Amino acid sequence: MAAAAASANSDMFDEIVMAEERFHGEGYQEGYAEGSHVGVIEGRRYGSLHGAKIGSEIGSYLGFALTWQCLLQKCTDEKNSKKIRALDSLIGMIQKFPYEDPTYDKLQEDLEKIRGKFKQLVPD
Amino acid sequence: MSWVQVAVSRSSEDIFDEDADEMYLLQKEWNSTMKKRLKEGYRDGIEAGKELALQEGFNQGYRHGAELMATCGQFRGTLNALLSWCHLNGHDSALSKINNLLDVIGKHEEDVLKYLNSIEQQPDLGHILDSVQDMDLNHTDPAGTEYNEVKAGKHEDVGSSGENICRNNGEVGSLQSECSKAKLCTDSERSTLAWVKKQTTWLVEQLGLSLDILHHVQQLEH
Repeated sequence: MAAAAASANSDMFDEIVMAEERFHGEGYQEGYAEGSHVGVIEGRRYGSLHGAKIGSEIGSYLGFALTWQCLLQKCTDEKNSKKIRALDSLIGMIQKFPYEDPTYDKLQEDLEKIRGKFKQLVPD
Repeated sequence: MSWVQVAVSRSSEDIFDEDADEMYLLQKEWNSTMKKRLKEGYRDGIEAGKELALQEGFNQGYRHGAELMATCGQFRGTLNALLSWCHLNGHDSALSKINNLLDVIGKHEEDVLKYLNSIEQQPDLGHILDSVQDMDLNHTDPAGTEYNEVKAGKHEDVGSSGENICRNNGEVGSLQSECSKAKLCTDSERSTLAWVKKQTTWLVEQLGLSLDILHHVQQLEH
């Protein structure tokens, strides 16, 4: 009798634990769906503004460098050919730079390099 | 269960009433415990779902924002290079026109940012792209008086550079019919960037420079 009662108690205890787990699980599912939805929206907004900032900066460097390179090619003295070579290298750096890829691990590092190189080349 | 209650209450009403109170309390406690578990689960779920989705959303948004603004940036950089060149070579008459175009680009960039901040909430990418086009449509209307002046004053030139763009497009796809070339022009006229592209092309011609310097700009899509 005692054993049967103990087993009944433990069954009931198991049931309570299971019910608690089930309710927690139901809440979790619902929360997870809601969290995913809210998270994507929030993430997109932050991401798009961050990407826009870097895209705008890199785009302007590229636009400037490509145009400046063409303008310099009109006059071909020694000083200019040195500048053109430097521009070539900057353009190469920008074109290789996957600025639109947020998972690229050297994003910030490469951006700093390009920024520095651009500042050296811009006419005052 | 009501028939059980009725049966029991007939035999010993007083005792049942005490049990009923206790049952009611237990039921209440049970309900509140389960409600608590449900809430806890919900909170845990929100956190877990958000954590993963934030990064995913960030990556999607980043890519979209970067690509959209890189095009604007290229226009700005190109115009800045022309501005520097005109400064250095004494083409002072062109400076105000270039600055006007830079203002238009600046305004456009602001609008793109505003749009990214608001419409980026739409999860459907197709919808976003539609909205970009809608936004560009609005921009065919002058953004300000300076914009008006440039547009009105150089109307004929705009037309001729528009033809140039058509010709270039024709060269790329020589099989295109006259009809589709014409359509291409009217479509591209709708956006601010296309307008700036034409104005820049005209400016470069006026400065006596080779159109080669705008090769990268001609390739930009908008």
